[in-house]
Amino acid sequence: MSSIFKLIFICIISLSSFAREIGETEITTDDGIEVFQNEQYYLLKKNVKIESDNFTLNADNVKIDFENNLNDITELNAEGTVKFSSSEFNLKGKGDKLKFEVRYEKLEIRGSDSELITENIEMFSNGLIKVNNLTGEFSLLGKNSKLINENIIIIGESIEGVFSNNSNNKEITFLNVFDSNLSYVKNDDSEMYAKKINYDDETALIELIDDVAIIRDGEKIVGDYGTLDTKNNSYKIKSSKKSKVKAIIINNEQ
Amino acid sequence: MNFFLYINRKLVFIFGIAVILFFLSVIFSKQVNFMNVESDKYNKSLSKADIDLPRFTINNEEKKIYVSAKEGNFLNSNKILLSKNVRFRSNDFSIETEEVVFNRTEQTANSKSKSLFKAKNTIISSYGFDIFDKGDKIIFYGKSFVVLK
Repeated sequence: MSSIFKLIFICIISLSSFAREIGETEITTDDGIEVFQNEQYYLLKKNVKIESDNFTLNADNVKIDFENNLNDITELNAEGTVKFSSSEFNLKGKGDKLKFEVRYEKLEIRGSDSELITENIEMFSNGLIKVNNLTGEFSLLGKNSKLINENIIIIGESIEGVFSNNSNNKEITFLNVFDSNLSYVKNDDSEMYAKKINYDDETALIELIDDVAIIRDGEKIVGDYGTLDTKNNSYKIKSSKKSKVKAIIINNEQ
Repeated sequence: MNFFLYINRKLVFIFGIAVILFFLSVIFSKQVNFMNVESDKYNKSLSKADIDLPRFTINNEEKKIYVSAKEGNFLNSNKILLSKNVRFRSNDFSIETEEVVFNRTEQTANSKSKSLFKAKNTIISSYGFDIFDKGDKIIFYGKSFVVLK
């Protein structure tokens, strides 16, 4: 009886000789692979699935640049319903196109309904999401781009900024938001509207430019230029000669 | 003896036999075809191959790719059908398959049979391949499977 089990075991082992082992990356394609050895890249065609211990990616087509061997990957470009997730970095994302520069830890997601979701931050855009994990720089370009983290919501046509290098708590240290209609930033106690909203962690000032509105504690103040000091939680609003600063008291009970 | 235990043992034994028969049928049908082994004995002496153990090289600027097989048959003055244990070997990689059409003048190769590419820390299995540009460009066809180690 034991020899029967041995035979079955050998059969199972031989059938699963192509299965991925720990530390290996498995790639499957429906329509083959083109390898260009001198140019040092390969194309994975149709319904591509990439799976390793802590990373999965699905896309229609993928181009991988390599340096010395096929597994020495320097850049990955995926297109067509791209979905990916990493359990190691606790992130997932989707878009029409993905570009990942491995050495520089630069990530670009393009297309409508693009998403990049990490443990602390959620990014959405209909154009481009760009993150440099080494420098902390990020940018979201396209209508209704949105960035959400634990205590801030930012909406605009263009959101550019820098995250702190603190790996435990990614705080925004520098921010430029622009929207030709109106940008929107909401923190713990204030909602801010303006065409341009800038923030610098060194000065601790949020600067609001053009069509400014700040809503806080049932008050809405409108003007042309405003600053909000995040250290002492105070704000100032100015107006040009033509218009005046207006304060509206909102009755929350109604 | 417990009646249910008795039934279970019997079922387990029948199931075991069924599994063994299944695996044996898979192994014998795909890998050990005794008919072919027998006929091979006769074919060795009565081989219809134009070339026995053909050997070629694809000369790339940077490397040489050595091509070998058990048999080769001329399709025309340039094209040779290589069959049985066909191998492409260079310093960087090897490809194993069962049938390849090799073009001597253009130094290209085309296979529609199951192929296995091996390079350092890389395995690619596919249903055929094309080699162009003196081995610089390799296209693997059909459902393909890659393992990067």
